[in-house]
Amino acid sequence: MDAVDARNVSFRYGQADDAPALESVSLGVAPGECVVLCGASGCGKTTFTRVVNGLAPSFFRGTLSGDVLTCGLDAARVPIDRLTPLVGSVFQNPKTQYFNANTTDELAFPCENMGMDAAEINRRVADAAGRFGVTDLLDRGIFRLSGGQKQRVAMAAAVVLGPRLVVLDEPTGNLDAQAIDAMRDLVVRMKADGVSVLVAEHRLAWLNGVADRYAVFDAGRIVREYPADEFLALSPDHVAAMGLRTLDPEPCRRAVARLAAVPAEGDGPDGRTALLRTRDLVVGHGRGRRRAFSRTVPDLSLARGEIVGLMGRNGTGKTTLVRTLTGLAGPLSGRIELDGRTARPRDLMRAGFMVMQDVNYQLFSDSVREELMIGSDADDADACARCDRVLADLDLPRLADRHPMSLSGGQKQRVAIGSALMCGKDLIVLDEPTSGLDRFHMEQVGRLLRRLAQRGRAVLVVTHDEELAAGWCDRVIDLEAARG
Amino acid sequence: MTSQPSPVSTVETTTNRLSTADLITVGVFAALYFVMVCVATLVSTLFTGGFGSIFLPAIAALISGPVFMLLAARLGKFGGITVMGLVIGLFLFVSGHFALSFVASLVFPLAADLIARAGRYRGRTSLLVSYVVFSYGLTGPILPLWFMKDAYVASLEARGKDAAYIEGVFAHINAGTFVVSMAAILVCALLGGWFGQRLMRKHFAKAGIA
Amino acid sequence: MRTAATAPTSRRDGRSLDPRAKLYLLLLANLMLFFHVGLATQATMIALFLAPMLVAGRVRMAARFAVLYAAMTALGLLDPDALGVPQLHVVSALAVGASMMLPCFATGAYAFTTTSASAFVCAMRRMRVPEAVVVPCVVIIRFFPTILEDYRRIREAMALRGIATGAFAWVRHPARSLEYVVVPLLMNATNVAQDLSVAALTKGLGRDGVHTSRTTIRMRAADWLAMAACTLPLALDAAGVI
Repeated sequence: MDAVDARNVSFRYGQADDAPALESVSLGVAPGECVVLCGASGCGKTTFTRVVNGLAPSFFRGTLSGDVLTCGLDAARVPIDRLTPLVGSVFQNPKTQYFNANTTDELAFPCENMGMDAAEINRRVADAAGRFGVTDLLDRGIFRLSGGQKQRVAMAAAVVLGPRLVVLDEPTGNLDAQAIDAMRDLVVRMKADGVSVLVAEHRLAWLNGVADRYAVFDAGRIVREYPADEFLALSPDHVAAMGLRTLDPEPCRRAVARLAAVPAEGDGPDGRTALLRTRDLVVGHGRGRRRAFSRTVPDLSLARGEIVGLMGRNGTGKTTLVRTLTGLAGPLSGRIELDGRTARPRDLMRAGFMVMQDVNYQLFSDSVREELMIGSDADDADACARCDRVLADLDLPRLADRHPMSLSGGQKQRVAIGSALMCGKDLIVLDEPTSGLDRFHMEQVGRLLRRLAQRGRAVLVVTHDEELAAGWCDRVIDLEAARG
Repeated sequence: MTSQPSPVSTVETTTNRLSTADLITVGVFAALYFVMVCVATLVSTLFTGGFGSIFLPAIAALISGPVFMLLAARLGKFGGITVMGLVIGLFLFVSGHFALSFVASLVFPLAADLIARAGRYRGRTSLLVSYVVFSYGLTGPILPLWFMKDAYVASLEARGKDAAYIEGVFAHINAGTFVVSMAAILVCALLGGWFGQRLMRKHFAKAGIA
Repeated sequence: MRTAATAPTSRRDGRSLDPRAKLYLLLLANLMLFFHVGLATQATMIALFLAPMLVAGRVRMAARFAVLYAAMTALGLLDPDALGVPQLHVVSALAVGASMMLPCFATGAYAFTTTSASAFVCAMRRMRVPEAVVVPCVVIIRFFPTILEDYRRIREAMALRGIATGAFAWVRHPARSLEYVVVPLLMNATNVAQDLSVAALTKGLGRDGVHTSRTTIRMRAADWLAMAACTLPLALDAAGVI
């Protein structure tokens, strides 16, 4: 029996007048097979995973037609808990897919819901943790785990009931390269156990050699299915034209390595002074005996008009460094110069801005225009004119009266950047601006960065995204290599 | 399967029982409400010194309006408000607050839920009244203040002091305080509820969340 | 429960009482409010309540409560009239009040910090608490720390925008400050509610029927002993023996 057997499946969210999210999709997944669903954002791949694991239409409301058999059960009609022992699911955001505050509780959670006795639960938890290499992460608070560790535990939790199918919905959205490699190993192990794996993903490179089949979605339909060898043989341009991320990360890696060797412009012969320069900087948090983390940063400089990538795996202090550079945290020692003068955290906070990974925390107003006008007088004609210019510059005029929270992720990012431009910030830091984005949106972010640089801002991007760094950064600072 | 099954639609089907997803929503909002209660405890202690929780319900009422209103709008069915009050009562009890507070945090939210239901969780007046009633659910933690007076009088008596004089002083203060703190809840809940409804219109309705 | 949730639990659970025994101690502490127990009884009860804390390795916490109790009792024993400062009655009364509430807070702190989320849930299920209460409780334990983290992010975002965040801003524009903080918090909360629901539903939380627990809780001799030991002084006091 196939793990998934979908025939002519169509699905509409909410009311019938919305455009269908899926239109007559047919797809099968054989036992032990790994099938990748790919395509641009909004193409229907996530919706398909929801139909398969029973979340749509029971939780995500809407109308479904066609047949979906998941492990032999009619996924649209049986209660979702009938599917629980057969289908494990892992989602994109490692921060919100944990139901428990403790890792062992999270692993035990599906077993508890199935009504197993304590001995059986603990046996299964130990077994799943052992097989998926998370034994050392047991009995920990989830708030202390890195994104990669959380995703590994989530994978173990997905198989603790011994399912026949595991559904992964963009599981690597927020992970660094090492963590993604670890995810790959786990998928290999699942396949080896005869578990079928269905993955919806933008980033495809990590699945090379694991995936058996690729289904390319567009506007709710499967436009084409490829066997793995055929898909991997596609030319990079063809892949890009389908809106997909690269299949071969090597050229990007080489480009990033090249960019990491580029010297800072401020030291160049043109004598352009850097906007920001650090001297013997040590960043970290906690002081004295309670010091939790500290890190010496090699001297760096950022000039107006350039895009600098800040890379290096999780835990190398990227976030702490940019928090220090924007004045949110004080340096432990050393100093930071702004335009050649030593700057206090307060000055840095006035000169710099950070677009957070979760941009929802940064939007406060009830319309895009109001958002940009916070802190300015609404009667000030000068400020209004400036606001109009910023809106136009960021392609936002059409959205000026919308509520910021009703916008898409990329639009929200642009609004946050707009607010920074209104405050006259010189340094704009972006924290993982392309996590979970498809090629089209990634390039949109890249073009936005370029425009900011052309307007004379210094742009610093914290990113794991090698494609973004290779395509758009003028220079890369690799904190990991710099650690020495 | 040879026969073509009819489409499955969940657009119109909403049961009146709280589903698991509803309970999770209640939990998330209850956590936010609990934070508001903690903030209120802190502020109240700051302003009133040792009388810690005397203005706790009033301050909590002042700041929790948006949480209450959004929960009512998101859920729109009976039970959510009751469960939120109940669970908060449970947490207050487990963290060492007075056991009787549990009774208040069951009775008042239940009444509030019934009032909100009368307006189908949409009526602005009924929601405002509902919020005022709900806010009295936190009066439990201030009850021990009255036991405290008794205890002090008793301890003075035990030492052979003239307790009548003390009784006079404190009885006066306590009666006054009682009226003030109850009236404060009313005023603050009206203000807080109005503020919550304003935010609902300004933000959540506009953003399509409620 | 927050601290317990972020630290290894199994070891600690072994040395702390059964959650139901903790609940009983909490009730006893509350009962003390109704009976005006004598000083000796009160001190004995405090000592008995602090003992399990010591056993659980919470020496610091126990010491703090002991010192606090001693200080409050000393203040409560002041004789304002003899000192010639009648205003001190307020201080004295407050101290007596605080020392009354102390048993509640001590047992509460003990219950809160030594019970893992898992044991708490297990105890609730064993006491046949309806799922409608259990589920929100689990979510609170899970989500509460996240809110504090969210709040910090929001404050930072405000600081970067030059929106005043200090105490002064709260006094000058209370409604606006509250709006700036509460709106992102609530927006995030609705997202989290959806994501948690999705995760929990695929893991079978909505299943009808018995839900079990990985933690086994059992009333042991030590639990019965602690309950009996704490009941005795209160019962004797109430009966007028002490």
